[in-house]
Order: sequence, then C-alpha cells, then structure tokens
Amino acid sequence: MRFIDLLRLILDNLGRRKGRVMLTAIGVVIGTASVILLISLAIGLQKSATSNLWGISDLRRVDVYPGYSEAPVMMEVGRSSGKGDVPPGMKILTPQTIEDIKALPGVTLVTPKQGIYGQAVLKSGRLENYPWIQGVDLDDIGVFEYPMQGGVTTLERGQAIIGGWVAQQFYDPKQRPGQDPPAQPDVLGQTLRLVLTKWTQDGVMINKTVNIKIVGIMSQAQAEQDSVMFVRLDELTAWNEWMMGSRINYNRDGYNQLVVRAEDPDQATEIADAITNMGYQASTSQSVVQGINSFFIVLQVVFGGIGAISLLVAAIGIANTMAMAILERTREIGLMKAVGATNKDVLSIFLGEAAGIGFIGGIGGVIIGWGGSLLLNMVASTFMPSNPYGGTQLATSTPGWLPLFALVFATLVGIISGLYPSLRAATLVPVNALKYE
Amino acid sequence: MTIFIQIRDLRKTYVMGKSTVHALDGIDLDIIPGSFTVVMGPSGSGKSTLLHLIGGLDRPTSGSIVVDGEPLEKMDENQLAEYRRKMVGFIFQSFNLVATMNAAENVGFPMRFARTTNRERRTRSMELLKRVGLDDRALHKPTELSGGQQQRVAIARSLVNQPKIILADEPTGNLDTASGYGIMQLLSVLHKAGHTVIVVTHDPRMQHFSTHIIYLLDGRIVSEAEYQAASTFDFAETSEGETTHES
Ligand SMILES: Nc1ncnc2c1ncn2[C@@H]1O[C@H](COP(=O)(O)OP(=O)(O)OP(=O)(O)O)[C@@H](O)[C@H]1O
Ligand SMILES: [Mg+2]
Repeated sequence: MRFIDLLRLILDNLGRRKGRVMLTAIGVVIGTASVILLISLAIGLQKSATSNLWGISDLRRVDVYPGYSEAPVMMEVGRSSGKGDVPPGMKILTPQTIEDIKALPGVTLVTPKQGIYGQAVLKSGRLENYPWIQGVDLDDIGVFEYPMQGGVTTLERGQAIIGGWVAQQFYDPKQRPGQDPPAQPDVLGQTLRLVLTKWTQDGVMINKTVNIKIVGIMSQAQAEQDSVMFVRLDELTAWNEWMMGSRINYNRDGYNQLVVRAEDPDQATEIADAITNMGYQASTSQSVVQGINSFFIVLQVVFGGIGAISLLVAAIGIANTMAMAILERTREIGLMKAVGATNKDVLSIFLGEAAGIGFIGGIGGVIIGWGGSLLLNMVASTFMPSNPYGGTQLATSTPGWLPLFALVFATLVGIISGLYPSLRAATLVPVNALKYE
Repeated sequence: MTIFIQIRDLRKTYVMGKSTVHALDGIDLDIIPGSFTVVMGPSGSGKSTLLHLIGGLDRPTSGSIVVDGEPLEKMDENQLAEYRRKMVGFIFQSFNLVATMNAAENVGFPMRFARTTNRERRTRSMELLKRVGLDDRALHKPTELSGGQQQRVAIARSLVNQPKIILADEPTGNLDTASGYGIMQLLSVLHKAGHTVIVVTHDPRMQHFSTHIIYLLDGRIVSEAEYQAASTFDFAETSEGETTHES
C-alpha cells in the first residue's frame, strides 16, 4: 500500500464518521487546552513574579552585611551604627574587609554603601522628596550597570544621581485634599537643596542645607535603585559626622553594606559562601531567583500534571472509541484482508485514524488553549489593578514550543491509545473477522 | 489436462472444549483452469470452510492447496495477502459492502491496497459497474440498492484486481429467485471470459452453468448418488414430525 493511498484512506475513514471522530476528539481538545492553559498560567505567574521582584536584575551581585558570630542582636543595620554602637560579637565591614574580599577569586568589584543617619529632605522650590540616600565610594556608578534615563553616571562631590522613581515623587507639603498633585519638575541638571535635620539632646531641631546638583537619572527598573539617591561617600560621611557630632572611623565603626560583584553570575553563589565563611552575611539574588524558579517549576509540573491527567482521560476515551470502532468494523477489516490488505496495512490504517483523532483534538486544544490564555490576559489587563511600579500585568505566557509540544503530545496520545485496538485488528484471522456479527 | 488448483488431503479441525469438529475431513480435489465448479452439500458439510481455505482467508489444519504451482501453506501472512489481492475475487452471501461508501467506492476499495492511482481506480470502478449494468447507480450507497444490485456491486468489486479465481459463497442466498438467476448468468459470463469460478450454492439451477459439480458431506467429497441418498434421508427426517405425507 502506498503512503499516499494510506493517507487518503485514513482521511476518508475519518471523514466517513465525522460525528464519532469529533466526539472523541473533544476529549483530546479539553486535555490539550488545559495543558496549554495551565502551563501558560504557571509560566506567566513566574514571569510576573520575577519581573516584580526588587533587585533581582543583577545576578552577579553579592550583598554583604556585618556578621553576628554569637548572640545575634536585633538591630536595624544602617540606622544605629556609629561610635560605640557596635555590639559585641559583631563582625563589622571595614576597609580591611574590602581588601580581603577583593582577594577572592572571581571578584571584580567591592565597594561600600552607606546610609544616612538622620532625616534628609530634597527640595525643588516648594516641592519635597524623600529619597533613600546612599553614599558610594565611586567616581562613576557605571560599574553598577544601571540603565540611565538621562544625564551621566560620573559622580563628584556636590552631585547626585537619582532613581527614576525618585524623579517622579516630588510632592507639595501644602497640598490640600482633593487638589491635583503638582507637575513633576525636570530636575536633571538642576541644583536642588538637601535639608539635613538633627535634634539636640534638648530636642531642638537644627537644619543644615547643602546644594546638590542632579547629574543623572536612572531608568525605572522595578528594582531597588528606583528609590535611591547616590552621593559620594566622603560627602555622606561628612553629613553623618555633622548629624552625630563626632568623627566616623570606618575601621572601627564599619560600613552598612558592601556591594560585591562577581565576574560571572555562576560564581556569585560561590563568592557569597566564601564571604559567609569569613563571618559576614552575604546574599545573592541567585538564591532568590533559584528558589522562585524551582517553585514555579514545581507549579508547572503540577499544572502540567493536571492537564496531562485530562489528556490521559482523553486517551482512555480514544482507546475506547477505537476499540468500539474496531468491533463495529470487524467485518470491514475482514473485507480489507479478503481483498488483499496486509496486517501492516490494517495496523497503519487504524493507527493513522487514532493519530488523526489525536491530531484533530490537538489542533482544537491548541486553538482553545492559546485563545483562552490570550483572553485571560485581556481580562487581567482590564480588571486587575495596575502595578504601582508599572510591573507587568501579564497573567499567562505561552512560549512558542508549548502549542507545538501539545500538538505532538496529543497525536502521540492518539497513537498510543490506538495501539492495542489496532494491533488486535491487524492480527485478526480474515475469516473470523468476516463471520463476526 | 493442466491442474490449476490442486488440493490434497485437506483437513480443518475445530476444537471447541472437549468436542472436535472435522469441518474438512480429507479433501482431494483438482480444479482445471477456466472451469466452473459448483459445490453443493447440506448445511455444516464444510462448503464455506473449503472456499475460505482456497481463498487464503484461513489456514488448514493439515493438507495442501497448490494454486498455479504455489503452495499456500508455504506462504507467510504478507504473501497470503498478496495472493488474495492478485489471484482471488471473493463474493459473499451477505455482500459485505462498506455501508458508508457508495457503489463506485466499494468497487474500487481493493485497489486501495494495490498501488494504483486514484484516476485508474475511478475509471476501472466505472468500467466494472458498467459491466454489471449498474453504471447509473455509481453514487448510490448500499442501502439505496436492491439486494441483487448490491451483489452485482460485490461482483464488480471481486473483479477489480483482475483475479484468475472467483470464489462465491452462496451468492444468491439472500436474493429472490429472479435476481438470483441474474447473478448466476453474470457468474457464467465471467466463467466464459476465462475466470476459474467456484461457487457454493444450494440453488440447483446453478448446475446448468457449471462444468463440474462436487458434493460435500461431513467434510468429505462424495458421489452424487451418496449425496442424493443423504439429502433424501435428511429430508425424511426433518419432515417426519411435520407431515404424514410421503413424497
Ligand atoms: N470458527 C469455527 N469454530 C468452530 N466450528 C466451526 C467454525 N467454523 C465452522 N465450524 C464448523 O465447521 C463445520 C463446517 O462449517 P461450514 O461453515 O464450512 O459449513 P457450510 O457447509 O458452509 O454450511 P452452510 O451451508 O450452513 O453455510 C460446521 O459444523 C461448523 O459448525
Ligand atoms: Mg456456508
């Protein structure tokens, strides 16, 4: 039997019993559609979860904090540190620590990050802003590889680079309820006032104003840099000394945080482990991302499993239909054999029909599953509250391989479930098949 | 005289639990090319079994069938399928048409397994329908045809691969007297066209068209005299309770 004749006969046979074929295919349609929909949902959830996470963007980064070797002390790092504040047993981050970490293999950058020890307000005219001030010991923050919205990455004393979100958060302290928020000023290149505030022991408030020029604005990235204002560390140290009324010695007081960069994302975990062994706390976004990924892989497997179960039910349906069809068509099989069909011909015909049912069901399932996931996205973007940071509202995500995989899978389900009935049909003794009532 | 089909000590035994049925109990038979053989015998005498074995639809328990020099028992499944496809056209009592195909499709059905083109199949089906006088019914489904017409379609189908042997198992069994006679005439035409025809039948009219008649009784070939004796005995036995008349 030629392949083309086989194909024609299979298509004819499927066409001759449209109703039956469609009814069986519906089972496969449901199974395939649910596989696609559920896996798309799992992938979509994973995507929006990862994209909404803070600071996840840089996989080469290791954040290092002081370590607590014994008797962990609950304290807010970065706010209470200062002269005489270092609790016993705390392993502080000193300039020596920087040298030690730099000596680790694969480390390309170690730089301190320091917060401000008091209140600081950024003022543009009568508008105010409370950025998260971070002092960095860098001439150029380009090493962080933050995408820029405008300006430069080089940083000098008297200058600042602010996050994209900060640039949008100027507010009018005298704004009355119901009034529209003020138009955001274009602060790039502007010199703004930074008002530092401290209180004396008697509770008297003292202000100090410094001029600061905004030389760069980072792009919004749904990451921690969005709310940051970077200034030079030596300048910040001076402000902090004014706030505390005493000199700061990092060899004794330690930094809040060190930012370490690995040459390669794969080394980040290794470096973090080495730093932890030195007695500090080190964390990478690697572990977070890996945790999230493995969670969503579990989710995908569970969802895919649910879909696969419905496909399995569909497979039993196909097997049942094929078995019934073969019983019904026993005389036809006898006839095929009487007119010269070989066992292989009969097997191919029935397997082909089963595969065809699987394929047709698969096509229907892909259309419904894909369409359904697009529809879900439309519903989600219409009715779900939008993320305040402009995060993605995607509800589902269907990678191109999924429909293809589902189609192949559905066809395979057809073939496998048709295998036993087809084999039985193929090996019938012609005369017995012909006598079947 | 050349022998076309040579049958030697052919046996077919069915074992059903403890009882064994010897459907064929040692058949020796020679069939010459171009002959028209009518096989007669009471119900259960093994007529259909013999026809199925000659047609390669089943395998004997023992014995041999040699067709045109080729022993069927030596053939594997594929060779047997090829033998059925090329050498044999089968006609059944119950027509065995595919209900969802029209007459032309039914006639062309065997060609689907025989490496022929679509067009060849269509023209050949139409030719054959014409030959059995049904070219105007080509698009009718079997249910839209009379029994006689259905059997004509089946005969056309049996001819489609140009077989040398035509095997018919009670081809007139489901038909009224008139259409049955038409089928006999058609088989006779095929015989005259050179096919070797073997027909199993209960209809004595078939004998007028035949060149040879064999009588089967309990799986054995018997003489006409033995056959007559047995069938009158059968008749007397069955009519005993129903009627007191002697025929
Ligand atoms: N598949 C089978 N299993 C068991 N016994 C069978 C089988 N097929 C046929 N037989 C037996 O073999 C014997 C011959 O059957 P066969 O069909 O050849 O008879 P027949 O002469 O064609 O009868 P009829 O005129 O009624 O068609 C019968 O006794 C039948 O019961
Ligand atoms: Mg019979």
